[in-house]
Amino acid sequence: MTAESSIPDLEKEISDLESRLQNARSRLAHASSQISETTPPLPTASSHALLLLSDSALPLGSFAYSSGLESYIAHNKPLPRTITPVASFHRFLQLSLASMGSLSLPYVLAGYRDPADLETLDNDLDASTPCPVAQRASIAQGRALIGVWERAFRGAYAASSNSAHRSRDHAAVRRGARAVEEFSDALKGCIDDEFGPKGHFAPLWGVVCLAMGMDARQTAYVFMLNHAKAVLSAAVRASVMGPYQAQNILASRVLQDMIAERIDLDWHTPVEDAGQVVPPLDLWVGRHELLYSRIFNS
Amino acid sequence: MPIISPFESSIAKAGEGKVVLSLLPPAIPSLSTLTYKYPLKLLTRTPGFVPQSALTSASTPVHLYLLTYGGGLLPGDQIDVSITLEPQTRLVVTTPQGSTKIFKTETSPGRTLSDKSRQVLDVRIGKEAALCYLPDPSAPFKNSRYEQIQTFTVDSTAKDSTRSSLCVLDWVTQGRVSRGENWDFHVWKGKNEIWMADEPTASSTTPNEDSTQKPKRKLLLRDALILNDEVAIKTNEPEPQDPAHPSKSLIRERTSPHGVIGTLILYGPVFESLSSFFVDRFTSLPRIGARNWSSSAPAASESTPHYDSKVTFTAARVRAGCVLVKFGAEDFETAKDWLGAVLREEGSIAREFGEEALLCL
Repeated sequence: MTAESSIPDLEKEISDLESRLQNARSRLAHASSQISETTPPLPTASSHALLLLSDSALPLGSFAYSSGLESYIAHNKPLPRTITPVASFHRFLQLSLASMGSLSLPYVLAGYRDPADLETLDNDLDASTPCPVAQRASIAQGRALIGVWERAFRGAYAASSNSAHRSRDHAAVRRGARAVEEFSDALKGCIDDEFGPKGHFAPLWGVVCLAMGMDARQTAYVFMLNHAKAVLSAAVRASVMGPYQAQNILASRVLQDMIAERIDLDWHTPVEDAGQVVPPLDLWVGRHELLYSRIFNS
Repeated sequence: MPIISPFESSIAKAGEGKVVLSLLPPAIPSLSTLTYKYPLKLLTRTPGFVPQSALTSASTPVHLYLLTYGGGLLPGDQIDVSITLEPQTRLVVTTPQGSTKIFKTETSPGRTLSDKSRQVLDVRIGKEAALCYLPDPSAPFKNSRYEQIQTFTVDSTAKDSTRSSLCVLDWVTQGRVSRGENWDFHVWKGKNEIWMADEPTASSTTPNEDSTQKPKRKLLLRDALILNDEVAIKTNEPEPQDPAHPSKSLIRERTSPHGVIGTLILYGPVFESLSSFFVDRFTSLPRIGARNWSSSAPAASESTPHYDSKVTFTAARVRAGCVLVKFGAEDFETAKDWLGAVLREEGSIAREFGEEALLCL
């Protein structure tokens, strides 16, 4: 009759079980601390690349370009009383992202998906760039990206034996790296050829991201986010808003949704159908040269 | 068995047209092919104008009038014109019916994107040949959908003064202003491309879809404009109309403050002086935000009324000496007056092609 077991016996049994449980727990804790299974995993290799490429310290010189913001402000001066500078800036950011999505994003994705076509993409983007101001900005950043790749990233990412690429498609990553190398050689070998390689930013971004093991969505997202960051940083320096306000916009759900929407809209757009959706933007960027005083290169 | 007419063209599809302009010795322009099918109509005329040109190759320009029944395009209408300019010929293309009206696409449950109107123009320009294409703007009506693809192929083997020349104007207005339309259409897509190919006029005898993939072709310039309200992309249902809050037009937001948007593309030796004229005019525009620091006289330049002050434009030399002029203006009349005034002031189009080439301006 277990029910009639004496109370001291039961108490002894419980304390015995408790001590065994405690013992087991402490051994488990000891064992798991050795193989560190309970700590959350560290970022993977592709997130490491993501962090590098989204860093505003990445030396591309993007801070020198306002993508037409400076000219937009000059063309819309003085603002009507009902419109605040920040509201006017919001409009510009929206237009600028839409234009970036429709004009450049297809080239980023095409570069990512088909790195071997890099030279054709570069030529076609050059043909689609309507003015020297935009061309200068795109080429300067593209060539800077090649420079960063050659001097900084190549060592870590081009080595085929690198274990960092285990998770990604190895062959694709290598194709990306090879495409950058070949393009860079072509760029150096070509002197003064009007139709030679130029080094436009968008397709190169796609190929470099591929070579660094990023996935296509990340590539597109960082491209758009970096553009938003550059425009916001220009807005701070053009005294449109303060740095906290700029970070506030950058962190906002609205901006995230806007970027995601643009990426979804132009995810399947072939480069042949890429085009300008905001025609006045071409005018603003082109007329940047006419500004009396300038703090940016575009 | 019906006798097959020897005159019947090989063109069977509605809206297709084909023009081949050649030069018979010594220098007589002649249309060796001219076919078209409803709803497209092509008329030609040789006014006997003798170009006062500095270029020795200048031949008498032939005029081609691009017409459609009713002066516009209905949903589903497809215009497909292919034009070949053999070496040393000159062609002027105009639209004597006024702006190309793009009629609205009915909102019906079975509506698909293929219901849009479409115009394809493929021009191949040989050595020393010149095209002057200054049409009226396209006027998309409320709820219309339209796509236009204009491809110009020039001879890549020609150098300097023997290059092909072209002048292309492409402009779009906000719609019928008198009826309150203000960028109220669904889609207007326009794409202008200049390709370089080794022998553009020779390959035209065997039109082949695959020819676009030939490695010998190289893209020289692409100018694509997409005005899309993006409604159809987000939802397949027609937009619910709230009378209290009329839906904000995305296209209007993106084209603001302009009521007309346009591009003028200039390429080749015939338009060289005009190209330089535009670039000089642009670079000599008064600086934006300039201040008069001198303590004496007030700025006199501000009081002088000028065409350029009403039109926002840029002119830039892009690739291979190609000049791209982009402009935006408050309304069609302003843009037309400005463009007409600039082209007449410079005068080379009137000298090379005759005053009639500026019919639409």
